[in-house]
Amino acid sequence: MTILYDTQSLLERYLTKLVRNPTLLATNLVTPVIFLVLFSQLLTKFAEFIPNAPGGYLAYLTPGVIMLSAMISAPLGGVSMANDLNSGFLSKMLLTQVRRPAILLGRLVTDMLMAVAQSIITIVAAVFMGVQFSSGIPGILLILLTVAFFEFALSGIFLTVGIRTRKTETISALSGVLFFPLIFISSAMFPISFFPSWAQTFSNYNPVSYASDVTRDLVVGGLTFNSLISAYVLIGIISVLTFAATLIQFRKVAS
Amino acid sequence: MVYKDGTRAVEGISFSVDEGEFFGFLGPNGAGKSTTIKVLTTLLRKTSGRVSVSGLDLDKSPAEIRKAVGVLSQETSLDVDLTGWENLHLQGRLQQMSGKILDERIAELLKLVQLEDVAKKPAGRYSGGMRKRLDLASALIHTPKLLFLDEPTTGLDTQSRAAIWDYLEGLNKNEGITIFLTTQYLEEADRLCRKLSVIDHGKLIANGSPSELKESIGGDTINLTLADAALKPRAKDVLRGVPGVVDVMDSDGGVTAYAKSAGQIIAQVITSLDRAGIQPSFLSISSPTLDDVFLRKTGRRIRTDELSRKETEPFLM
Repeated sequence: MTILYDTQSLLERYLTKLVRNPTLLATNLVTPVIFLVLFSQLLTKFAEFIPNAPGGYLAYLTPGVIMLSAMISAPLGGVSMANDLNSGFLSKMLLTQVRRPAILLGRLVTDMLMAVAQSIITIVAAVFMGVQFSSGIPGILLILLTVAFFEFALSGIFLTVGIRTRKTETISALSGVLFFPLIFISSAMFPISFFPSWAQTFSNYNPVSYASDVTRDLVVGGLTFNSLISAYVLIGIISVLTFAATLIQFRKVAS
Repeated sequence: MVYKDGTRAVEGISFSVDEGEFFGFLGPNGAGKSTTIKVLTTLLRKTSGRVSVSGLDLDKSPAEIRKAVGVLSQETSLDVDLTGWENLHLQGRLQQMSGKILDERIAELLKLVQLEDVAKKPAGRYSGGMRKRLDLASALIHTPKLLFLDEPTTGLDTQSRAAIWDYLEGLNKNEGITIFLTTQYLEEADRLCRKLSVIDHGKLIANGSPSELKESIGGDTINLTLADAALKPRAKDVLRGVPGVVDVMDSDGGVTAYAKSAGQIIAQVITSLDRAGIQPSFLSISSPTLDDVFLRKTGRRIRTDELSRKETEPFLM
């Protein structure tokens, strides 16, 4: 049997745990819809100022909400790993013949599936609210792939912290500190032309901007090969860094 | 085994366990029992020494060792969101089992630990004893030849403890599984183990079967409790002077004397004490226990049987 078998076994475990925890599951799945409605309704006046946004502010906002939801579910893996370390369940797994990397992979795939599920809900809600996805089903599939990749890059941060500190409180504190600047000083929720120049500079280097822009191009049209490649390269670099950090921490407890 | 902060947890211990043996590691809290189990089961890396488990070298073949052994940790570790059946199923899959073989093994183990009725309920709703039994079943899922149990009954009520003892005796007798158990309970070590190592402060202090160890005391024990602790040294001198007394030691509330046949000299013990003006508030004669063995070797009693309930953390969250 292969590492895939082990990853699948653990994926099933994590998914079952999610289903057994309906409040957590529902909260994560409903959150994007709340953001979508909240921002688009509260900011109707603001939306009038946005020049030539195709499809209006709602179409602009949809990719931002997709990225925001992915960021909110990214800490789940780190929390779960910290809990397993504290309860002794991780030790118990390490005493079996499971292939070590499968423990991390199973968790990462769970987080990615969660982000994809949230995105699907966001897309369906957006369609109901009148957003047209110009690139059709292939475009939506590419959006989901982008989100999954983005989630992979982010989850590693929290897995690293979760394994190192074993404290879920640290993870929630960190997620707030990290996410607010990353999401709001990016092109995710608002066009950066509204920002002061320092924030525009920050946004131009912010990976959230890249991921949002690619997704936005897939919603309203106009995706270029260059923007797709630059987003994927950037997310790829972050993924390598965060996954390496996770592996280093994991090896300390697993060897 | 030395920890990173310099704590020497276990030092210079050496022992061997034969196939099919029921072996016990007896010692008080903090003696180094869990550390030893963690090293033997590949969870902790030893800092020096040589270990072979099931004929496999610990440094060279940790993966093969994990295949051959089952481990029941001191802290019950179950996924409380999963049902009893799902916990065993996951454990089986992680042990590279699948399909019908796994399903049959799960059914067999649920029957063994008498959890068939609650197999579909989340483990989080199990009582402490049920959780321990489920954890034991999951340690057995891949039919290991060697089972490590780290204080399997600590924190359990008397009934659950007796149930675990029955399972373990059955596994050892009927299925020939070699069992390595750590315990701080004298009664547990005495009843279950055919061979014992007594450990204290990370060092081995005695080896042998429970009866050999008790015989090594050289007879019965006479326990005196004194109302006035200041009389202890005098009482010890008096007892030493009584013919037939082999040794005299301090014990918590008084003095313990060892003698071949305590019954024959007890009259003289009382007379001698009386003559010296010492009146014990309590006196008893008993066959030696493992606690006496511990006392003889360390000058202290283990005495966990009464205390442990208060000392151990509550089992249920």
